[in-house]
Amino acid sequence: MYVIKNALRNIIRNKGRNILIMIIALVIALSACIALSIRQSAESTRESTLSDMEITANISVDRSKMMKNATSSSSDSSSNKENMKSALQNTKDLSIDELEKYAKCKSVKDFYYTQSASLDASGSLEAVDTSSNTDSSSSSSDSSSSKSSSSDSKNSTDNNGNTPPDMQGNNGGQGGPEMKGGMGSQGDFTVIGYSSESAMTDFIDGTSKITDGSMFDINSSDKKCLISSELATLNSLEVGDTIKLQNPNDEDETITFTISGIYTKSDSSSSSENMMGFNASNDPANQIYTSYKCLSSIITKSEKNASTSTDSTTGMKMSSAIRGQVNGTYVFSSVDDYNSFQKEAKKAGLSSDYTIQSQDLTEYENSLVPLENLSSFAGWFLLIVLIIGAIILIVFNMFNIRNRKYEIGVLTAIGMKKWKVALQFLTETFIVTFVAIILGAIIGACTSVPITNALLENQVTSSQTQQTQVEQNFGRGSDTQNNNSNSSDNNSSQDNKPSDNGQDKGNPPSGGFMGQASNYISSVSSATDLMVVLELILLGLGLTIVSSLTSVIFVMRYEPLKILSQRD
Amino acid sequence: MAILELEKVSYAYDSKKVIVLDNLDYTFENGKIYAITGRSGAGKTTLLSLLSGLTNPTSGKILYKGQDIKKQDKYKYRSNCVGVIFQSFNLLTNLTALENVMLSMDISGKKFTDKKQYALDLLYKVGLTDDEINRHILKLSGGQQQRVAIARALSYNPEIILADEPTGNLDLETQDEIMDIFKMLAHKENRCIILVTHSPDVAKQSDINYQLQPFRKNTPKK
Repeated sequence: MYVIKNALRNIIRNKGRNILIMIIALVIALSACIALSIRQSAESTRESTLSDMEITANISVDRSKMMKNATSSSSDSSSNKENMKSALQNTKDLSIDELEKYAKCKSVKDFYYTQSASLDASGSLEAVDTSSNTDSSSSSSDSSSSKSSSSDSKNSTDNNGNTPPDMQGNNGGQGGPEMKGGMGSQGDFTVIGYSSESAMTDFIDGTSKITDGSMFDINSSDKKCLISSELATLNSLEVGDTIKLQNPNDEDETITFTISGIYTKSDSSSSSENMMGFNASNDPANQIYTSYKCLSSIITKSEKNASTSTDSTTGMKMSSAIRGQVNGTYVFSSVDDYNSFQKEAKKAGLSSDYTIQSQDLTEYENSLVPLENLSSFAGWFLLIVLIIGAIILIVFNMFNIRNRKYEIGVLTAIGMKKWKVALQFLTETFIVTFVAIILGAIIGACTSVPITNALLENQVTSSQTQQTQVEQNFGRGSDTQNNNSNSSDNNSSQDNKPSDNGQDKGNPPSGGFMGQASNYISSVSSATDLMVVLELILLGLGLTIVSSLTSVIFVMRYEPLKILSQRD
Repeated sequence: MAILELEKVSYAYDSKKVIVLDNLDYTFENGKIYAITGRSGAGKTTLLSLLSGLTNPTSGKILYKGQDIKKQDKYKYRSNCVGVIFQSFNLLTNLTALENVMLSMDISGKKFTDKKQYALDLLYKVGLTDDEINRHILKLSGGQQQRVAIARALSYNPEIILADEPTGNLDLETQDEIMDIFKMLAHKENRCIILVTHSPDVAKQSDINYQLQPFRKNTPKK
């Protein structure tokens, strides 16, 4: 068709003008390519990592929702408080049977659970206690009374600290029974019973390691346990020795464990520092691991023998039995499974007072924050580039068309249809911008990865600086800085495997506020892909059409006679 | 048989206030040269615009082979049926003479066995040399541009040739050469040649002369 031939010839005839348009379009295309690549890489990093990520989740009481319900049901403030209290007391964590019921959902890949109980030392056994070194001898004997108050007031913090990482998501739920039991005492040790070896995440990810002896039989109810090397050293214990623990509520009830192995925890030092030693049982060194069956039988036995009393002021029942907390963890092979589990569990009868939360997912999402920030920044940038680009191209085309008014007049006067003239002008603009887009995509593909990574690094740094600032405002400057530098070092060493970042680096178990420093994804490996190029071409097409539309409108408006007579 | 007819054609500017042409009844036939003469402002160029389909009469009809051109595709009419040589030539200045001619052949949509050769032959016929044919329009003289414009008007083989002051800025010798071309086109190729001119010499050489009376007047304002 001669229209296209003409368009091509005209491009060559007007080299200067077209090179200028091409440069403008190239700048737009390049910026758009990089912005799109950033968005694409954010998306693909998210998806690829999530797809090979195993997700663990816990079911917990949705306390904020309960509080809300309690408040909304009454307007009176004093009865509000009562409502809240009773609501909290009435809800409890799900029992192991209930948890197992939901574990039967199709989406659940694996299910394991732990039970933890707080026990006191009995006899000569001493807990590792960094907070009260000066009078450690007395701590074991009178700890039950002195520490119960602190534990009651600091329930959620304590619980956060004394559980292994896989249980951290359960903050809300753990408060439930504490509140209900109310006056129970906190012991020096946390005994944790595991249902399966896969529940012992510390050992799986290598944070903890058995250095002496062997693992207890997970399926047996024998009173065998693993203790930390610190505890072993402090009490000169060896594999095969026995330790005696007692019910913090009942001094006469003692349990004897045989030490089957001694483990070391690689990051225990930092976590004990972080916990500031409110309570000895918070110290990971005071965690004793055993099988779920063993701990469960101890608790059942204790409940049988327990005496109950009723508190006169609150009217609540108090039991002297050892209180155990069950914590179930569901494992999903994908986010989709996790999401469908949310629905399945509701269908299976999970009340709306409970929520399903995934710590992994939350952590992972946190790690994506800089990348997502960058991605949304890129989105805005793209929008601005496109708007400015469109304006420039429109103005340029308008000038162009005014300069070529005479040409339009002649072409239409000798019988060329207006739409063909418009098509020719459109083709010219399109060819020029298309070449620019291809060039932009090529240059963009080569530069987008380093540019994305450089920008991402800035984002990560600024996120970290911000966090450090916050920490410093709380007076914890030096500590956090160490944490931060550690984690960013880790990140850079894993640069080429972004998919590992989310999984490998769970926060230190005692994380709390400070530990969650910054496990940010700080690099991407690929950015520009076919999708980006396609999007870019679509955008270019859109931009060309928008900017040529003005010229088309002009062409359609021009009457040949008018143009020609004006010239005459 | 009349190829082009004016039936009571009137034309007025500015929403009918300034009447330029009033009630014209002209007939144009093949094989003849028509001269349209008249003083400046008599509406010669306007008549040419009407005949070339660039504008419509305010009232009356222009019939091409008996059909009202108002109802036809004006673009097709301009690109196929009528060849116009504008007063200012209206050639595309960034194209060569040859490209200008070939472009109008493209636009007409007609099929040619050897387009380039056909265009070259035409340009030779109007008296351009090889060198001039490949020059850009702005590098050609007025007379040369005039010839290119004629070649362009002839390129798609229309039956009617309209020319606005085709000899206006040419010396006498060139004027005669151009007139010879028109005569050849009319008398040998049986085309209808309509020349708008104020040159008495050109009018004398044509077969039929229509003289336009100055009729530009303002209708009384209400």
